[in-house]
Amino acid sequence: MLKYVLRRFVYMLITLWVIITATFFLMKLLPGNPFGEVAAKLPPENLKILREQYGLDKPEWQQYLKYIGHVAQGDLGVSYQFPTRSVVDVIKQSFPASLELGIESLIFAVIVGLLLGIFAALKHNKAGDYSAMFIALIGISVPSFVVAPLLSYLLGNKWHILPAGLWQGPEHRILPALALSFGTIAILARMMRASMLEVSSLDYIKTAKSKGLTTWKIVTSHMLRNAILPVITILGPIAVNVITGTLVVESVFSVPGLGYQFVTSITTLDYTMITGLTIFYAAILIIVMFLTDIAYGFVDPRIRMSGRR
Amino acid sequence: MSKPILEVNNLRVSFKMYAGEVQAVRGVSFTLNKGEVLAIVGESGCGKSVTAQTIMRLIPTPPSYIKPGSSILFDGKHEITKLTESQMEHVRGEEMGMIFQDPMTSLNPTMTVGAQISEGIRKHQKVTKAEAMQRAADLLTLVGMSNAQERTRQYPHELSGGMRQRVMIALSLACNPKLLIADEPTTALDVTIQAQIIDLLREIQKKTDTSIILITHDLGVVAEMAHRVIVMYAGKVVERGTLNDIFYNPKHPYTWGLLRSVPRLDSDRNNDLESIPGTPPDLFAPPVGCAFAARCPYAMKICKEVDPEHFDVSAEHSSACWLMHPEAPKVEMPVQAGRGSHG
Repeated sequence: MLKYVLRRFVYMLITLWVIITATFFLMKLLPGNPFGEVAAKLPPENLKILREQYGLDKPEWQQYLKYIGHVAQGDLGVSYQFPTRSVVDVIKQSFPASLELGIESLIFAVIVGLLLGIFAALKHNKAGDYSAMFIALIGISVPSFVVAPLLSYLLGNKWHILPAGLWQGPEHRILPALALSFGTIAILARMMRASMLEVSSLDYIKTAKSKGLTTWKIVTSHMLRNAILPVITILGPIAVNVITGTLVVESVFSVPGLGYQFVTSITTLDYTMITGLTIFYAAILIIVMFLTDIAYGFVDPRIRMSGRR
Repeated sequence: MSKPILEVNNLRVSFKMYAGEVQAVRGVSFTLNKGEVLAIVGESGCGKSVTAQTIMRLIPTPPSYIKPGSSILFDGKHEITKLTESQMEHVRGEEMGMIFQDPMTSLNPTMTVGAQISEGIRKHQKVTKAEAMQRAADLLTLVGMSNAQERTRQYPHELSGGMRQRVMIALSLACNPKLLIADEPTTALDVTIQAQIIDLLREIQKKTDTSIILITHDLGVVAEMAHRVIVMYAGKVVERGTLNDIFYNPKHPYTWGLLRSVPRLDSDRNNDLESIPGTPPDLFAPPVGCAFAARCPYAMKICKEVDPEHFDVSAEHSSACWLMHPEAPKVEMPVQAGRGSHG
């Protein structure tokens, strides 16, 4: 198991390095310059000083090496747009809200999604199955920019059950988390249902039945564990998606999250901010996938073993 | 003869599909006595496995239905076709055990071997977890596995196919069932392992005096183990008899065909291996007369019109074929005595 974890860890570092490098050079290909319209009005001498200040006068490979060195020390640079704020500060400031919202909606989505999927599979081809899958179908087809305003308007503005926006007490968490989890619930429910159905037709389920086990016991100790494996695989990317926050939900409910910062930085060509946030997103994704791989190893003994050799 | 453990009477099982009803089993009757090994033979799709799994009610309803008039009387007291699902849970595993065909897929990959065996024990007997595990280890020793204690902590993927089938056998024996159903227990195994598994089954049968229904299409396995044989074709029993009846005095042309298609050591290698021409009939719409008539070289006019009843050869031996009728023409049995009994 330790060897398995170590190997995954090394893969993780390599992937991260490739992403940093690719982002750095791809961003240099973007048209325009980071000083915006101001640059045209500035005298060339001042612009030169600015470029020197940010190290932009040096060859790109030197910029790259310097940047890598900083990243390795956890320094993602200073924003071009707001020279008083470092990228790390921005992340520190806006990420907690995104993270909290993401985790809450993820927990909610996993519980509801899996239960819905299991329920549908056990009631296969009956009314329960059809209604569960109908809910899931809506969840997949209706985008969050429809669900979020609808929830905010109906439950918040019209019926005054919950606050329509802002980010203060726990009651402010419910609606955005709900809106954010909607699509995830649908995806998880459908995956879990398909996976359960596949497992239920396998030979060892018949073996379990031939032992005289009750349906409840067969489901809980034979089917769930095997059916959940493929779902765990997609849980990683899904979690990252949810945690890094979808811009729409954050802006509809006025949540001060990271999604908003990311979009602003791209429109203003804030080099350090874009690379910094991309690396941050990528790092989360890769770390979560790393954790997923380890979780997978715990659930499936076959994977655990192959790492041992 | 001792008391019957299982009496199957006019068992009919159908699958309701979108395209119609598949009559997989069409009126099968047989009895199994205590301590006896009964082999059910026939080619793929003849209803052997459906019959066996229906005895344990393992095929989900829908799509399968046991038709009215069918009776499966177990141990003289349980009418299997009428038991509720929760009553069945006490029959399965405790009174009947089942060995499946493919040991690679019939064990749960995410559970240790010991957990899978002890699970059934804990369901049916009031024992602690540790006692059940100990019993699991004892069972693994019984089926000839060394280091049984260690084996209980292993996962199926750490064992070879033959080992897994031994685990499967241990699992089916967990609660000392009165009836063991072995559904093609050797089909998925290497030939050398097949022999070991058959030896093991035979040894266990002698030790525990369990009654066994052995489903197979391998006549070699039948000759090794069975006391009595029923031959199935297209969902019906076409011939039944003792092992000697079937191998040395077969009466049904389908049985002749089966025996002739066993390869022989002393046959000339220029001779092609015999086979029965054609394929079994479509059970969506079974033929009116004898189901085998279309493939039978001796088919007469009546065969295509009326399905034959069983004609008794002796008390134990009967064959459902019009050739057995007193007015039918004499046909010389084209099978040499004892062909196919290689073992």
